[in-house]
Amino acid sequence: MEEIRPPKNYIVYDFVRVTASPGLIVLRPKLVYENEAAERFVKHGMKGGVLLISNHSGFFDPVHLMLSIWRRRHHFVCIKDFFEGNGFKRWLFTQFHCIPIDRDNFSMGSLRRITDELKAGKLVSMFPEGHVVNEGDLAPFKSGMVLMALQGNCPILPVYIKPREHFWSRLRVAVGEPVDLKALYGPRPSLKEIDEAAKSLRDKENLLSTIF
Amino acid sequence: MQMSRNEIIEKLKDIIVSADPGLEERASSVTEDTRIMQDLGLSSIGMLYIAIAIEEVFAIRFDNVGISDFETVRSIVDYIEKKL
Repeated sequence: MEEIRPPKNYIVYDFVRVTASPGLIVLRPKLVYENEAAERFVKHGMKGGVLLISNHSGFFDPVHLMLSIWRRRHHFVCIKDFFEGNGFKRWLFTQFHCIPIDRDNFSMGSLRRITDELKAGKLVSMFPEGHVVNEGDLAPFKSGMVLMALQGNCPILPVYIKPREHFWSRLRVAVGEPVDLKALYGPRPSLKEIDEAAKSLRDKENLLSTIF
Repeated sequence: MQMSRNEIIEKLKDIIVSADPGLEERASSVTEDTRIMQDLGLSSIGMLYIAIAIEEVFAIRFDNVGISDFETVRSIVDYIEKKL
């Protein structure tokens, strides 16, 4: 897969954030926390590298996450199709520091880019279902996120975006307690433990969907 | 670091077993012709896990290669040999 280098700065990203910030007055989601630890983590700035995972029920979920955790810049992991060609779409996704991945043939370059961002103390956001699931239960989570968090030496922050009943209803987002995988499984868990971790994170997302 | 192909394969066997202890028997019969996904039954995550372990054990750095590009043990050994 072609390696797409991120821009050296956040000028476009921050310009959009600042000019769109008044929208927070009307679009700001209602955040619900799993417990005090989750609330403390988010309200005290979520310092350092964090891998945010969320359900993916609609095209605007990245915007919803940016509105929910607006103090930090998100580095979204997204499929390489968004970077095809040389048009506006590619430019935009590059300027927003999105990280392309090939779902059919995951590249070491993508893994390195994700873990480098995490090690540099940045927020990487992704949808471990791998595609939009707008009906029924959550799809199984791809366990690659567990490897990314372990390699990035950072916690995973589970977030659940409640699908809106009406387009005018206020967005509701549940935030779970950050999960420290190294504390749970050690620095080098087996593949079986990695699958278990992915399943337990999916269970956690299911739990978050019930706390509204 | 100079290593023979056999030494590389032995280290690869250890990596496979550490990834999944259930693969010990299959790992013991690994040859250069062993197909990683079909014969060992590793998933793409398993391949990624092994690639990370290879970087650590052999102190090499993969270029921007797709993990599914490595179909057989031979292709991995060739790559490691080139990088050592």
